[in-house]
Parts: sequence; structure tokens; C-alpha cells
Amino acid sequence: MLIFLGRRVLLAVPTLLGVAAIVFLLMRAVPGDVVTNLVGLEGNVSVERMAELRRMFGLDLPVHEQFGQWLAAAVQGDLGSSLRTGRPVATDLALRFPVTLQLTLSALTIALAIAVPLGVVAALHRGRWPDGLASLIALLGLSVPGFFLGILLILAFSLELRWLPPAGYVAFSEDPVENLRHMVLPALSLGLVLAAATTRIVRSSLLETLHRDYVRTARAKGVREGTVTVRHALRTALIPVVTVVGLQFGQLLGGAVIIEQVFSLPGVGRFALEGINLRDYPVVQGAVLLIAVAFVAVNLLVDVAYALIDPRVRYG
Amino acid sequence: MIRRSLIVLLFAAIAVAGTAAAQSTGGVLRAGMQADPVGLDPHITGATATRNMLENVYDTLVMFDSSLQIVPGLAESWEASDDGRTWTFTLRENAMFHDGSPVTAGDVAFSISRIKDPDVASPRGDDFAVVDSIDVPDDRTVVLNLAEPFSPLLSKLAHSLNVIVPEAVVREHGDLQEVVVGSGPFRFVEYLPQTRMVLERFDDHWATDADGNALPYLDGITFQFYPDPTSRTTAVQTGAVDWIEYVPAADVDVLDADPEVEVVGGLSANFRSVYLNVARAPFDDPHVRRAFSYAIDEQAVVDLALFGTGGVPATGTTIPASNHYGVRDSPYVGRDLEAARAEMAASSVPDGFEFDLYVTTTYDFLRTPAEVVQANLAEIGVTANIVAEDWSIYLPKALEGDFDATILGESGQSDPDDFLFNVFYTDNGGNLGNYSNPEVDVLLERGRQVSDPEERREIYLEAQRLILEDAAHVFLFHSSQYEAIRGEVRGFEHFPNTSYLGLRTTWLDR
Repeated sequence: MLIFLGRRVLLAVPTLLGVAAIVFLLMRAVPGDVVTNLVGLEGNVSVERMAELRRMFGLDLPVHEQFGQWLAAAVQGDLGSSLRTGRPVATDLALRFPVTLQLTLSALTIALAIAVPLGVVAALHRGRWPDGLASLIALLGLSVPGFFLGILLILAFSLELRWLPPAGYVAFSEDPVENLRHMVLPALSLGLVLAAATTRIVRSSLLETLHRDYVRTARAKGVREGTVTVRHALRTALIPVVTVVGLQFGQLLGGAVIIEQVFSLPGVGRFALEGINLRDYPVVQGAVLLIAVAFVAVNLLVDVAYALIDPRVRYG
Repeated sequence: MIRRSLIVLLFAAIAVAGTAAAQSTGGVLRAGMQADPVGLDPHITGATATRNMLENVYDTLVMFDSSLQIVPGLAESWEASDDGRTWTFTLRENAMFHDGSPVTAGDVAFSISRIKDPDVASPRGDDFAVVDSIDVPDDRTVVLNLAEPFSPLLSKLAHSLNVIVPEAVVREHGDLQEVVVGSGPFRFVEYLPQTRMVLERFDDHWATDADGNALPYLDGITFQFYPDPTSRTTAVQTGAVDWIEYVPAADVDVLDADPEVEVVGGLSANFRSVYLNVARAPFDDPHVRRAFSYAIDEQAVVDLALFGTGGVPATGTTIPASNHYGVRDSPYVGRDLEAARAEMAASSVPDGFEFDLYVTTTYDFLRTPAEVVQANLAEIGVTANIVAEDWSIYLPKALEGDFDATILGESGQSDPDDFLFNVFYTDNGGNLGNYSNPEVDVLLERGRQVSDPEERREIYLEAQRLILEDAAHVFLFHSSQYEAIRGEVRGFEHFPNTSYLGLRTTWLDR
């Protein structure tokens, strides 16, 4: 197991390097730079001053030199400072990561809490009305984009019912109740969409295992149907679910951007988006690197989870 | 059963947390902002967001009031010498920084020198280019010695990013990005990016109201950030915040119809116009430029492109009509197709022509007018091809004058020099269309040297008459700006120069 983990961590290094290099190049291939954005709408600034600012930020150096400097600092844990605000990127990421993590975990919890029961019910009643209902719900969930669902939820629960705040963020350590109140709607917007996709996987995966020989054997031995479903079939059926959820989790970490924007949550996605819009290179580099690290880490966890769920899987 | 009572408990908790605590005095204003500050050091940035959140943490030497008249700030009085080259300011006795140290003449001299310092790279370094030297005869007297008379000086000193900072703090920390110490009515408490900035009442601030009560009234301000305009509107409607900035033009009527919310604001100190590149044919021909000015309907631009609420049609040049120096009767107000066609007939291109109208997609109010302009020009036989690009591609090209015609604008404060000098003086940075008229140049120089308002007004009216005759731009509109406030918010005044100094006299009635 340890050897396996060590090998996986080593393999992650080239992946992360590749991500960093590609983002670095992509950001510089996009026209415009931070200087034009700093100048802003009311720019009474001369072309000379803009050139001077570029020199100050080191943007006049060749791209490979810029990358080299960034990388040398990054391996020592220094992700640089925002070109706009001068704040250290690592500090800002540390502030934001918990927000994104909480949002993602809440969304995932909601998704699983809905998808597993719904998928099981659909599989057990295949072809009958509960299955049809589950399919309908899943189809609806898949068809509605998360941000649109978010706006509908704001309209219903904030503007009409006045139960929950429409947007904003309060840290859990500051006020747990307010924190949860602010997190409900964004987590639902993200979680319901994920629930729809996961329901279908749970259903099809369970249907498949229910027809396996060992399930038939269990039934033949007289094991009760409920036990067969939960202990024998569902456990195996969850393996593809874990795979997909793991991948989804990684995507959620980076893909909560729009939800964070709609609900004014100070997460990594919104930070990265702001950085991209303003061509604040160190911010984008740092945020993408963090998301990549999280993605790799989650996939590693997923592999470990296989072993826990399915006794047939062993790593050596 | 346990599960059910848990759910009941959860809902009860939500309900309790949703009820705001009752307050009787002052109150803490929750303000919904569009964007985070761009750094916290006021001298280094040009960002309106930084300015708007910190202008009540710092003070300026002199200030604008809500009618944009200059009133005392840290300086209780000032006078200019007869030749207009020596300005003497006397500071208040009771002005104090938030760290307890007094505001001295040395701090004022340090602050102005810091803005001028090329190493600090302040975007407003040129504001004080004319200041030759600064004398500090005693702790309460500052003397600015100018190279030449410069009547916009007070207006530059009143700009709420040209604030007075404590010399000792800057020397200790290098800059003011992390440590925020001002002398304004509110003390900086904390800033969490994309979450909030918290200000607290500074009890020792020098200002009092007309009845001698200490200002400010509020106990504090909490700025929260809602980049999405719909979230911001919803936040004030639901009472998640008490006050929001930048009400989207499309939501002004919606919020106005809400009995719990009031929309304040209107005309703001800026201009938006079609810049015509005089260096390119046929825009070198004044007949063509005048034909454009006659043909384009400013009211239609505001009604169709800006929802009727996003701007006020131009009645003169770049200076808004409400300004003392504004022109109110430009010959181009409204549409005069006959005059436009006559000018075209007399021009170098009587049969019409085609050109690229270069705009940015990033700001709606600079892009949507293009379609009205295009339709208006089609009626005089001119084809405008709209070319729209992202701001970061657009701006460098616009700054280099690489366009036939473009829609752009600038903001000013209240001084006519803000609106005219940068845009129309030959070869100046904001003169993107390469306009040049030696007579206008002479007038704009004289306007900087004369201080008598009536005499200045004559000079600037004459300059604007020439600019209109040359039809240097097609003047379209002045953007409006609105704040929305909930019923409990009292005493807030809208300032027409994108400033929230009105928060100094605000309180909450709960």
C-alpha cells in the first residue's frame, strides 16, 4: 500500500508540472495583460508608463525566463503576489480554499443523500412508476444548469420566502448558523445537478450487479432480499459510483466558479476567475495549481477507497 | 422522531438568525459593493473601488460637498497669493490620525510629495506636477509653491485618493497596503478579500454637524462584495444589506417600485462620446464630423441603449450641463437630418462612405450605443461597421489612436480642466482622436491660470464653442450612477462624482 502511494505521489509531479506549464503558456497567449486592466476605464495613462509597469512586473522578460522564475519560487512554497493588489497569492488561497472545500463537500453530501436512495429505488422497481419518476427527476436535474437553478432558488427562498440570504459568506468559525444559512442555496444548486447524474449511475450499476451469479447464489441460500441488495449487490455497485463521484469532486473544486460568482462566495473559483479576467498571472497560476493538487489528491483517495469498499481490490 | 425534531430545530435556528437585532442609535451600515478594492494604498491605485471604501477612512486637505463646491477638509482655511503661485493652507488644530498622532503640516507635505514621487508610480502623479516645492513653516501651515498659476489645484487636492497619510507609518511599513491608518471618520478594522471590509467609528474625528454633534453618526460600515448585479439588487431587496452601489440601469425601475427601497442618484461627473480620428480621412473634414453630430440622436442612445436610466443626454461637450462651466445649448442636441445632409453634401465625401466603429465588449454602456449610432448614420448614407473587442485588446489600440472612430469617455470631478485639458489639448494622453486647434490650446492653458470663476467660465465657454464648431467628438451622454437604500437608512446624500462621502452623515433608524 505504501509503495503504491509513493508511486502515485511521484507520478503526480509531472502531471502538476505539465498543468503549470500549460496554464502559464495559455495565459500569456490570451491577448492583453494586467497592465491594460490596471489602467482601467478612465485611463489617462501614457504608453510609456504602461511599458514601465510591464518592466516592474517582469512581463518584458522572455516567457521561459518568467516561467523559470515562477517555478523556482513555487517549489519553495512561494506562489508570488497578485500583480493588482500586491497580496501574497498563497495567503489568499489559504483564505479561499476552505470556502470551496465546504461548498464542494456539502454539494457532494447532498448529491449522495439523494442519488443513492433514488437510484436504489429505481433499480429495484425497474420499469415501474418509481423508476420512471426517478428518471424524470434525474433528467430534469441534468437539463437545468446549476447557475440557473441557483437563481431560481434565490428567487424562491430569498426574495419570496425570505428564509435564506441571497448571497455572501460568513466563516464557520465566526458564526456556524450564519455560515450554514449562506451555504444552503449554493450547495443545493451544485448538489442537485450532481445528484441527477449520480442517480443514473447508481441505478444502472446496481441493475448490473443484481444479475450477477453471486447475487443469485445469495438469494438461493435464502438471504433476505434487503440484505442481498444492501450487503451484496450495492457494495459492488458503488465502485463505479465512487469513480465517477471522485472525478466529479475534482471537477466541482474547479467548476464551482459560476456558483461562487452567483452567490458571491469568496472561493478559489471566483479568485481564479477574477485573476483570468484581469490577467493577474500569479493568481491564475496559484489557483490552478491548487485545484490540480486537489484533483490529484482526490483521485488518490478514490483509489484507496476502492480497497475499502471492494475486498477483491488489493494494492501491492 | 429525533430526526423530525432536528429539522424543526434547524428551521427555528434559521428563523432566529434571520431576525436582525434592534438598534436605536447610529447603527452599522451593511453596504453591498460591486468589487473588491484594488490594493489598499490610496496613493498607488486609481481604482474607484479602493477610493470608495477608503475615502471615509482618510481625509483630504480640502473636500467636495454634494454640490461639488470646495469646502474645508483637514485645512480649515487657505489663500492664494496674487500671482497665483503660492498657496498657503492652515490645518485644523484637532485633526488626529487613528493611531493617536496629530495630523501635521509635515504629513501633508510628505503625502503630496509621495503622490508626485516617480518611484511610488501613482496614477495621479501629474496632478501635482506643477508643485515646485513645499514649505512647512510650522506644524499647522503648509505652503505649496507652484511653477505657474494652476487654478485646478484645489480640485486635485480634493480628489479622494489624494489623501493625507501619516508619514511615520509609511516610513515604518514602506507602504499602506497592509496597515491602514488615516484621519477620517471611520477606522479600518479588517479586510477579507471577496468577503468584507469592516470600518468602525473613529470617536476623535474633527468633524461636527451644523448643531455641533460629532460626525459620523454611524457606529460602523461593513462593506460586502456582490459582483453579480442581480445578487446585489436582491441583497438590498431582502435586507441582507442596507445600501448598495451601482444599481444596474435595468433594475432602477424595479427597485424604485419596491416600497422598502429607495433609489438615489442620477447624473455623474463623466462623459461618453464618439471619438473621431481626425488623422484619418474623411474625419479630417469638419463637414463630416458636423454631419455626424447633427445626425446622431443622443436621446435615442439613452432611451434605447441605456434603458432610459443609464445616462443623461449631452447638451454640450464633455462637461455635464449641471456644472457651472457646462454648455446647455449645443446646436447638435436632438436630430437635424436636414442639416446633417447639407453638411455631407458640402463635404469631401458627398456620396457617403464606410468606416469601422471600434468599441469594447467589456462595458455595455460603451458598446450598446454603437447600434443606435450605426442606424442614425445609415440615414445620411454612411455605413458604420461595428468592430467589438475585449477591453484588454481594445484599450491598447485605442490609446495608440489605432481606430477610425470609437466610443469612449473619461470621468472628472468638478473642475472644467478635468473634462477638457486631457481630451482636447494637442497631443495630450487622452486626446485619442488627434484633435488639434491652437486657439483651443491657448484657452485651455489660460483656464488653468485664471482663478476668478466668472472669468474662467468665459474662457471655457469660448473653448467649448470652438470644440463644438470643430465637432471634435460626437458628444453622446453622461453616465448616471445610482445607489439603492433601504427605508431605515437616513441622511445619505448622493454625490455626483462617484464619491461616497455622503456616508459621513448617514445613520440607521431602527
